[in-house]
Amino acid sequence: MARPDIVLCVLGVSVVEHRMTSSLHMQIRQASKAYAGIPALIDAALDLHGGEALGLVGENGAGKSTLIKLLAGLESPDSLELRLNGGRVTIPDSAAARQLGLRFIHQELAIVPALNVAENLFLNNPLPRIGGAFVNRAALYRLAREALRRLGIDHIDLRQRASLLSPGDAMLVKIASAFVGADEQKQPLIYIMDEPTAALNQAEAQLLYAVIERLRARGCALLVVTHRLHEIFRIAQRVTVMRDGMVVNTHQIAETSAGELIHEMTGSSAAHQPQSGESRVGEALPPPHQPIDATSAMPPSDFSGRPRGVTNARPLLRVRDLQTDALTATSFHLRAGEIVGVAGLAGAGRSQLLQALMGIDKLRAGTIELGGEALRNPAPAVCWGRGMAYLPEERRSQGLLLGGRISHNMTLPHLGRFRRWLALIDRRAENLRSQQLSRSVQLRATGIQQRLRELSGGNQQKVMFARAILAKPRLVLLDEPTRGVDVSAKRDIYRLIRELAAGGAGILLVSSELDELLALCGRILIMRDRRLVGEASTADLDERALLSLMFAGT
Amino acid sequence: MRYNPAHIWQPYRPTVTGYALPQRSHLSSFLRRYGTLIGFMAIVLFFWTQRPQTFMTLPNWVNITRQMSILGVVAFTMTIVMVTGDFDLSVGAMASLVGIVAGSAFQNGGGLGQAVALALLVGVAGGALNGLLVAGLGISAFVATLGTLTVFRGLALYTSGGASIYGRVIPAEFSSFGRGAIVIGELRIPNLTLLAALALALVFVILRFTIVGRRLYAIGGNREAARFGGIRIARLRMLSFVISGLGAAVAGLMLFSRLSTAHPTQGEGLMLQAIAAVFLGMTMNEEAQPNVLGTLVGVLILGVLANGLTQMQIDTYIQQILTGVIIILAVTLSSLSQQGLRAPEWLRRLLPERGEAA
Repeated sequence: MARPDIVLCVLGVSVVEHRMTSSLHMQIRQASKAYAGIPALIDAALDLHGGEALGLVGENGAGKSTLIKLLAGLESPDSLELRLNGGRVTIPDSAAARQLGLRFIHQELAIVPALNVAENLFLNNPLPRIGGAFVNRAALYRLAREALRRLGIDHIDLRQRASLLSPGDAMLVKIASAFVGADEQKQPLIYIMDEPTAALNQAEAQLLYAVIERLRARGCALLVVTHRLHEIFRIAQRVTVMRDGMVVNTHQIAETSAGELIHEMTGSSAAHQPQSGESRVGEALPPPHQPIDATSAMPPSDFSGRPRGVTNARPLLRVRDLQTDALTATSFHLRAGEIVGVAGLAGAGRSQLLQALMGIDKLRAGTIELGGEALRNPAPAVCWGRGMAYLPEERRSQGLLLGGRISHNMTLPHLGRFRRWLALIDRRAENLRSQQLSRSVQLRATGIQQRLRELSGGNQQKVMFARAILAKPRLVLLDEPTRGVDVSAKRDIYRLIRELAAGGAGILLVSSELDELLALCGRILIMRDRRLVGEASTADLDERALLSLMFAGT
Repeated sequence: MRYNPAHIWQPYRPTVTGYALPQRSHLSSFLRRYGTLIGFMAIVLFFWTQRPQTFMTLPNWVNITRQMSILGVVAFTMTIVMVTGDFDLSVGAMASLVGIVAGSAFQNGGGLGQAVALALLVGVAGGALNGLLVAGLGISAFVATLGTLTVFRGLALYTSGGASIYGRVIPAEFSSFGRGAIVIGELRIPNLTLLAALALALVFVILRFTIVGRRLYAIGGNREAARFGGIRIARLRMLSFVISGLGAAVAGLMLFSRLSTAHPTQGEGLMLQAIAAVFLGMTMNEEAQPNVLGTLVGVLILGVLANGLTQMQIDTYIQQILTGVIIILAVTLSSLSQQGLRAPEWLRRLLPERGEAA
């Protein structure tokens, strides 16, 4: 994996076991919660022990986030029996949760862009004060620096405005805020992390793993929700599987496998399975010959977008010397039917490349040719119209109208295609098309009129895919398409990507999940320091080699 | 390029598994959607009982629609601006300015057509100026339209020398329009009411059925997502301000015609009332979006309050206090129910459990 030796050096971690004498124990029983009559969590039971990390896995909508909201005091439970070290406790609000020693890293980014990094670190923590009313800025910066150091981060400027942070750095800041002022020597805490690595690249995730190790060694209890199964095997001692609001099973990590977990998450019953006959659970497993550790939902490598004897085909996309405010000297090409990956550490300029192509960032220099025609002064409206489709990194803030209906979200860039009588929307056609798309992306919803806000993350992402494929695009730009998406949705998304490529679309895929890049793409563009530094064929590449290319090209 | 519906294979089947379809909790959802409408009906009922002979009569309601028509036109077009998340503070000043422009045109020997055309042109130009400042230069709508409000008011005062324009310079056809009506049997529908109804219908169709309307809502819903999704934001925001300027100009002409007087500040009250009406309307929408039917109810509430309280001979100053209180009350109730306000314990015991009905 990603050079744990280096990471540990940076941290200066001394992994010395000094277990607390009185071991921490939190007992959760009969946790139930229903929203408007729909049970989201049914009689769940968990135990958290000091010195142990418990993994929690399950598809989107399995009830993991609901459980966390109950523990955080953000939602009031229908029933919940909670014991901390044997004593009965309740959590009426988030202050009470903090009082009990619970610390949370929630899934959604809660960063205030106008505040600086240090101030953001203290959003959920009491500010150090002078005389009761004034903020002690010196102490603020000292404590903030300590919190970041615990994560082994020294590249983030505490006085930088949060709006200037990359998504990965923003996530690190959020994670660090759980460590502000924490002192396990005095009191071991209970850390509850909901998808902490979803927005992190592998190197950043390694930092977090090391911190988790250390917290464990100091007697803290951890509950880690994640969709990345290999993470569970890396950090957890036990793992609990949830499905449909219920706890299905809890395993010792040594006694289970990724296959078993996926099986339990998706359920053997037909309820969740798309109607097609083939074994989808089996398909999700990594092919045996892949040199990948216990991974989830891997697309089989034989289905990759490696160019299949495409001879003398003119490139669909040709980019020369592209330059924007966030990107320099980038040239590459992409053929129809090809899936090309873009790899790089956070801040390497991967998203900025897609944004430049889509005309979101202004071009300073360079040319973009699509299908042999130059794309001059691209703008999103022009690019969609020319047969490009774009799935942005932050689907909630950059992609979706959360208050809008499913059909409206799908047709947003394509409304011109549903024109009737000069200016009106042909709603019949719009609805029919949305229904058709819902089927082909296997959306789980009550109907196309449902509001996006009510869908799970995976289904929201499927709506984004439906939007991208509505007009049979020539070029599809995908930025982290499987982030925060459950196993079965991931599987569907891989299928969609492959189908798009098979149908002749060119695909540029930005992803932080290296196994995903290796399995889906024929070629991978490597970006570093806001520029394209190289290209590698996946034929003779493994994760370790790719990672080292991303770091420095050793 | 148009999508051909003949290529559909099968109707969409919902693929939700397990549980019943979501149903909203009864009370808060009900309050959210209909609270303002119930409030409106309560106000009507109150005046009906207080003034049984005069209030609930056809002539009085026709009268109310005429009194509200000018505010209506401003509020309906303001709804479009507010759909995109902006607002336009300059509409009242624009309405005043337009009256002065038309009046000056009459004074300088202009005909009816010339004066009206010039007035509408000024409205469009003023709206375009707002749009340019907000969408083009990126100044916040509050600051930009506050600035143009002052500019428009200054222009009106300067052009008129601070004096009203009235009397014989105004063509008879122009002033009679504002007092005129179309007679259908017993019913006399005032021209102004018809104009407002026309504006309502236009805005309703734009927002509900057109591509432009859908895009405007997208901009208001998530500006960045709309931009990334290929919507030309600056253009549409510009358009919304032009429509609002045009609406203000029409309202200014209606006011001038009805009063047969153009005073450089006579439209001032329109802006705050129009924004209040849109806010009242937003309380009736599930997603708290501006919507023109809601705005209509908002305008009706303001109009009925003014009419009823006047009939009860309540001081106009007190009327203002009451109107303000009602606006705050409606918006507060709505936002509380939106946050999923939990009913107090004693009330909850009386209500059926959530989801029990399922």
